[in-house]
Amino acid sequence: MSALSGQERRAGRASKFRYNSQVALRDPTTLIGILAALLFGYLIIVPIISLLVDAGRVQFGDERRIGGEPGAFTLYYINRALFSPVAQSLFWTPLTNTLAVAFGAISISLAIGGPLAWLVSRTDMFARRWFATALIVPFMLPAWTFALAWATLFKNRSVGGQLGWFEALGLTPPDWLAYGQVPITIILALNYIPFFILLFGNALRRFDSQLEDSARMLGANTPTVALKIIGPLMLPALMSAIILAFAKAIGEFGVPYVLGLPVNYDLLATGLYRSISSRQTGVAAVLATAILLIGAIALLVDARLVREARKFVTVGGKGAMARRSALGPMRIPATAFAALIFVVSVGLPLLTLVLSTIMRVPANFAFSNFTLDYWIGTNLDTVALRTGILLAPALWSAAFNTLWIVGTASICSGILGLLVGYVVVRTPVWPLAGFLRHVTFFPYMVPGIAFAAAYLSLFAVQRGPIPALYGTVAILMLALIADQMPYASRAGISAMMQLGKDPEEAAQVAGAGWLRRMIWVVIPIQKGALMTGVLLPFISGIKGLSLFVILAVPATDVLTTYSLRLVDYNYTQAANAVVLIIAGIAYFGTVLAQKLTKTNLADGLGS
Amino acid sequence: MPTIRLKDAEKRYGGTAVKAVSNLNLEIGDGEFMCLLGPSGCGKTTTLRMISGLEHLSQGQITIGDRVVDCVSSGTFVTAEKRGMGLVFQSYALWPHMTIERNTDFGLRLRKVPKAEREARVEKVMKTLGIAQYRDRYPSQLSGGQQQRVALARMLAVNPDVLLLDEPLSNLDARLRLEMRAELKRLHEAFKTTIVFVTHDQWEAMTLATSIAVMSDGELQQVGTPNDIYERPANRFVAEFVGSPPINIIEMTDQSSGPLAGLARAYFSKFYPQLKSIGSVGMRPEAIGFVRDAGAVPEGSLSGRASVTGVLPTGGSWIIELVAEGSKLFLTTHQPPAVSDGAEGLFHVPPEALHVFDDKGDRDWVADIALSKGGEGRPEMVAKKAMA
Repeated sequence: MSALSGQERRAGRASKFRYNSQVALRDPTTLIGILAALLFGYLIIVPIISLLVDAGRVQFGDERRIGGEPGAFTLYYINRALFSPVAQSLFWTPLTNTLAVAFGAISISLAIGGPLAWLVSRTDMFARRWFATALIVPFMLPAWTFALAWATLFKNRSVGGQLGWFEALGLTPPDWLAYGQVPITIILALNYIPFFILLFGNALRRFDSQLEDSARMLGANTPTVALKIIGPLMLPALMSAIILAFAKAIGEFGVPYVLGLPVNYDLLATGLYRSISSRQTGVAAVLATAILLIGAIALLVDARLVREARKFVTVGGKGAMARRSALGPMRIPATAFAALIFVVSVGLPLLTLVLSTIMRVPANFAFSNFTLDYWIGTNLDTVALRTGILLAPALWSAAFNTLWIVGTASICSGILGLLVGYVVVRTPVWPLAGFLRHVTFFPYMVPGIAFAAAYLSLFAVQRGPIPALYGTVAILMLALIADQMPYASRAGISAMMQLGKDPEEAAQVAGAGWLRRMIWVVIPIQKGALMTGVLLPFISGIKGLSLFVILAVPATDVLTTYSLRLVDYNYTQAANAVVLIIAGIAYFGTVLAQKLTKTNLADGLGS
Repeated sequence: MPTIRLKDAEKRYGGTAVKAVSNLNLEIGDGEFMCLLGPSGCGKTTTLRMISGLEHLSQGQITIGDRVVDCVSSGTFVTAEKRGMGLVFQSYALWPHMTIERNTDFGLRLRKVPKAEREARVEKVMKTLGIAQYRDRYPSQLSGGQQQRVALARMLAVNPDVLLLDEPLSNLDARLRLEMRAELKRLHEAFKTTIVFVTHDQWEAMTLATSIAVMSDGELQQVGTPNDIYERPANRFVAEFVGSPPINIIEMTDQSSGPLAGLARAYFSKFYPQLKSIGSVGMRPEAIGFVRDAGAVPEGSLSGRASVTGVLPTGGSWIIELVAEGSKLFLTTHQPPAVSDGAEGLFHVPPEALHVFDDKGDRDWVADIALSKGGEGRPEMVAKKAMA
């Protein structure tokens, strides 16, 4: 009797399993999810693990020095980076420099960006709407554009090449103003102001005036309202902006490369680059791990804050209304302040760069000094690059490489992002959804330079069926796809969330199978989101430097590495011209993306 | 169209022990207009989605005629697209990237219906629903009521045997809702389709359905015609959920349940001494009368002293609030009341309008027979239920 019931129970369990798997696999969603999970496991998790492991393993070429077979466990690199006599210059100084620059830049951008966010979103400042767009332009441009502009202005005789404008005018800028901590901090600060305008401003905009009014009705005065109502509600958004800026600052490469190296002012990212170019892969792994850890901690804090903030979001409700404060007599000074910031953070740097590409001698504003030779000239009086930049074949091949590599990678990540979004929202297998959501967001925590180091460590040699990919276009594309997944998958997930199940289920009930539903209903509705999922990665890939500087070789030269090489060779005008081209593509790409999808950049930031 | 049968259907979400629907046995016959009625979260939408195939069962089975479409123990699951039903969503779920015409002919294109026939059918259904003039517009250019019609047209175009409607009228304003109700009723008669309609609005259920299934906490409470549900609620939940203003309940279980309970107890032991263990008694507001002097109270009624504490006009009818023996009673009347606040008098309820529930809250069918004096008030129904 009991045997029979046991058998029955087994049979029941078997049929239940069959039923459940049939339900789970009734359409390919779960299958796609599993494949995507495997792919991202390989593209994102494995490289990072490989990097972490490298920090504790004897690297090729170090066998003699360390006394062990390649691959054997060793604490040598950790010792060398953290405790040896050279540790100070290898690790501790770059670390302190990085933290100093990060905190300095964030303090400045908070002090300027916070008030600007309020002015732009909640006051009657003149030209408020125009400023709302104009002030976030730096966000669309690569940060080292501004570093080059700075160098164009303040470069002194410590370094060779063309003179800076001030030097040319006979005013020698001191080293502390020309290079190192001060300019890096200022440039990063200017670059992070848009974070505050976008994230903090958005939160301010959503803030319901009725909450404030209710407090006033109960007798609270202005300071009390600010302290007890607005402050606590705004804090999460503010913290979120601070931490995003911090995570970016930690991995920042281009700016310290241009402005720090001349005076040996190293940040973690440039230190990492140096270690890699001097083939100290073990030490590089330790540095990359440090960057990764700091980034990860920052992002974990942020995730917590965002979750906190979500609690508040639901309070908003339908009747929300945003009232703008009248500035009264402060209206003109406030507008002047915003205008000043615009001039300093956008106008002046871009103007400097543009002028620098059409002037033969720096800071000589005589009409005869102006020329278009650096753009379209021929038979120039230089060692190499004897034509204007637009006529140089190297530019066009770099441009082609950029479009082809970044373009392909962006299209792939856009499609993958939408698929991830679809699976996350639709699969009945919940752990799969959670895994995909997190794994695709993970690269956000990993600064590009650490990620590139991880790829280098994983794909430099053949592993299993995967050939050595270093030097190929494939490694760049894979690294780009992985690096851009946070943007792409966020776009995909939020789009699928907004779409809801209904339109697809309506098609299903009407008799459409899975493929039909995708082609007739889901993809057409989501073409905007797909566009965002392609364009955002494209823009960030175009201006991205840190991935390429490690993974690209001359055969896979792209615009960013090309301009960096021109900087190294002191072809200032040409370098600036290339940077302007990149900035142009990035800016118009962003504008196009916003136009096409009617979305806001802040949404892409993932507040 | 064959009958839809749900047998011991059960639904749990995400491996939790909480059952959205449990132990559901329901039969929906050919051409029926069945309303699933219940408060939000009672499992009615889940039931509808299980019938459609968008949700699968955790236990039990669903058959359509002889065809098993979902059965856990035999491992059968037919997906929604293969069940050939129509479903209208609460949100309408029109495809925003298609014109009204493309929305409507979607199902026909899928079925590869020849162009001429497709156009004729779309034309017919769009004319019937009065949306033909919007054929080239996009959903966002239509009002809520028009979108609702498109959602209906889209499903009707493929002429499904079963039409499932998930609170389709809840996003419409009152007037439009009334119009659409009439339209749905007309459509049901014109197309002879079996309709399953989910709503939390008892008015909607009462006016539309040929039969109503009342659900609560994932369990079926009662199935019956609108009249059955209203006049012979199977338990306290149904009695209290259906009817507005709600039914008046006298709690009788506890000895200390108040003087009104005492009055009722005295009434029952005098006229119906055979009834034991009465849990509670319900009285519909319109069944209660109010008179000034004792001589006007009909013989055999449950009656007692009461005073008027409020007269609330509702436009064409009035709700009168009484306090009888310390308990509040609401009565409704369509006659302009000749009383005002503070008026003293007597309330009275005829015995056949008393709903007696046992101490578990279930309807006491024996009491029904006794109260209807074994002959009046549709005895055959009462007798049948009593035997079941």
